[in-house]
Amino acid sequence: MTFYIFAVIAVVFALTLIFKKNPVSSAFSLIVVFLSFAGIYAVLGAHLIAAMQIIVYTGAIMVLFIFVIMLLSADVPDLDYSRTSKTTKITALIGGLTLWGILTWMFKGAELTKTGTHTEEWITQSGGNTQVLSELLFSEYILPFELTSILLLAAIIGAVAIAKRKRGKKT
Amino acid sequence: MNINRELLTLSYEQLQWLSPIAILLVGVLFVICVASVFNRGSKQITQWTSILSLFVTTLSSYSLLDTATPHLLFNGMLVLDKFSYFFFIVFNLSGAATILMSDRYLDLDEMNHIEFPILILFSVLGMMLLVSSADLISMFISLEIMSLSVYSLVAFRRNDRLSNESGLKYFILGGAASAIFLYGSALIYGATGSVRISSMLTAATVAQPSVLFALGAVLVVVGFLFKIAAVPFHMWMPDVYEGAPAPVTGFMTAALKAAMFATFIRVLIQLGFGKPQWNAFQTSIYQILWWSALVTMLVGNLAALPQNNLKRIFAYSSIAHTGYLLIGLITALKNQAVLGSTILYLVSYVITTIGAFGILSLLAKKGDTGLNVHDLSGLSQRRPWLAAALALFLFSMAGIPPTAGFIAKYSVFYAAVENGEIGLVIFAVLCSAISVYYYLRVIVFMYMRNPAEQATWRRPILTAVVAIAVVALLTIALGFSPSSLIEATGSLSLAQI
Repeated sequence: MTFYIFAVIAVVFALTLIFKKNPVSSAFSLIVVFLSFAGIYAVLGAHLIAAMQIIVYTGAIMVLFIFVIMLLSADVPDLDYSRTSKTTKITALIGGLTLWGILTWMFKGAELTKTGTHTEEWITQSGGNTQVLSELLFSEYILPFELTSILLLAAIIGAVAIAKRKRGKKT
Repeated sequence: MNINRELLTLSYEQLQWLSPIAILLVGVLFVICVASVFNRGSKQITQWTSILSLFVTTLSSYSLLDTATPHLLFNGMLVLDKFSYFFFIVFNLSGAATILMSDRYLDLDEMNHIEFPILILFSVLGMMLLVSSADLISMFISLEIMSLSVYSLVAFRRNDRLSNESGLKYFILGGAASAIFLYGSALIYGATGSVRISSMLTAATVAQPSVLFALGAVLVVVGFLFKIAAVPFHMWMPDVYEGAPAPVTGFMTAALKAAMFATFIRVLIQLGFGKPQWNAFQTSIYQILWWSALVTMLVGNLAALPQNNLKRIFAYSSIAHTGYLLIGLITALKNQAVLGSTILYLVSYVITTIGAFGILSLLAKKGDTGLNVHDLSGLSQRRPWLAAALALFLFSMAGIPPTAGFIAKYSVFYAAVENGEIGLVIFAVLCSAISVYYYLRVIVFMYMRNPAEQATWRRPILTAVVAIAVVALLTIALGFSPSSLIEATGSLSLAQI
């Protein structure tokens, strides 16, 4: 039941995120979407993930988003959707509805019985979410954990390469 | 219920298996430090240290090439076998060739920044990790390491609108494809309870795989088809190829495609392919690939016909080659013994495109102009060697003997006919016949037109000449005596983990 409340909120605000023409209100819709995700995670019993979702996404990343929007496009007019052609809109609608239909049809026939090794009882036994997650990150999932740091380094260098523009003739 | 709490302790032997990846990682970090320490003249030093680390990685992969059994590392997240090591060599050499050929091109547009070789190194590292991933999480992260570096490389011409646009387009569409891949992985996890690709085998080979698993697998396949630009997921490719700097386009066409194909093959073998008996789920995946191969060949070749920009011609021809490669892939799914011919095709295609784009980088004028077909009029009179080399690469792409392209096409089509894909092969041969038109058109312009009065081309630098000469020699050598490469690729096989 709680799941459906959060799910409906998430979907509604995801729609306003897309359809609002003002970037700032879109950003705030995204905050609500992220918060309801946190709610869903909490309902699922993943309290650590829920807290991290709020701190990292709703807190840090969204502040950056809004900061950038304020800095860059304070004087840029609202987004203009009238340039999108009718055929694009119609095909997008058809494509979206088809995907939705396929997913609903698939999930109706699917049974979600299979669970992994990390069941709820097992987690409580081994000392709660935080402990299990941190132990897993440094044991079983050490490779993806370390690869993520390489990924971030590559992303930083890529961002510098694109963003560092030439100023005038002299450097 | 106990998980394996193996901490990060690598034995000496495991470290040895891991050495190509470790060497390149240390190499990247070293290059970054070197680039930051030497302010003046750091470009040369950065380039040469990058090339050095790529070559050392190649050597260490080569020394490990006789690995007999696959080694699983990090609790089975990374699989290092002969297949991985072979592709390590391919990626590293194409990265090195790209850096060697791009120096003067980047100077011309005043964008010879130290980030260029560093980003190439990062994407090569991502490819190496990608092709040896045995786990959907590490596969996704290495895919992103590779893609993020390439997105930035595509947008590398900072002050050009076209380059920025294509970078953004690639970023958004590539992000969407990654999301599809990730969603598919999540569904597979939901269906099997594990993210290891080894779990896919048991889930796929039962008589009636669960709907959830099937949907997840199809989404993963779609993500791969997007990245290799198979029709109908090809729309991004021509624009991105046109907007990206020419050496980057070559790198993308060659190395990135090889990485995605190699990983795709690994995932498909893990879905229970490689032998003749399939269940309904595998048959439907096969049908997706079959139709995609058919349409990809048709669209790629037909759309290339009216193009005038060389980069766009190569983009569409790259789509067409994806179609031929898909035939090889399909054949390998039926009978894993012919996997070697697909890899042979991949390698010869990598060699040819690296060479062709190396020449385009040498011919390009400031701002990547001067790459239309009629701009090459009379190239054979002013720069006969470059014209001859480009003609050789075009012949190889068209599949005309005695070039590497001919041997590759021959072996893929032969294997496909032997395994009952006669319809596809007839179609592919017809499509190749169409493709001869747009390849030969370029040659006609180079050899049978007189140059415009003021047409000049830069004098190529020594490193690029050496790199192109080596690639051209390889193309001819493989055409005349392909036996060593056929032997090498033929011995590669993928075990189901």
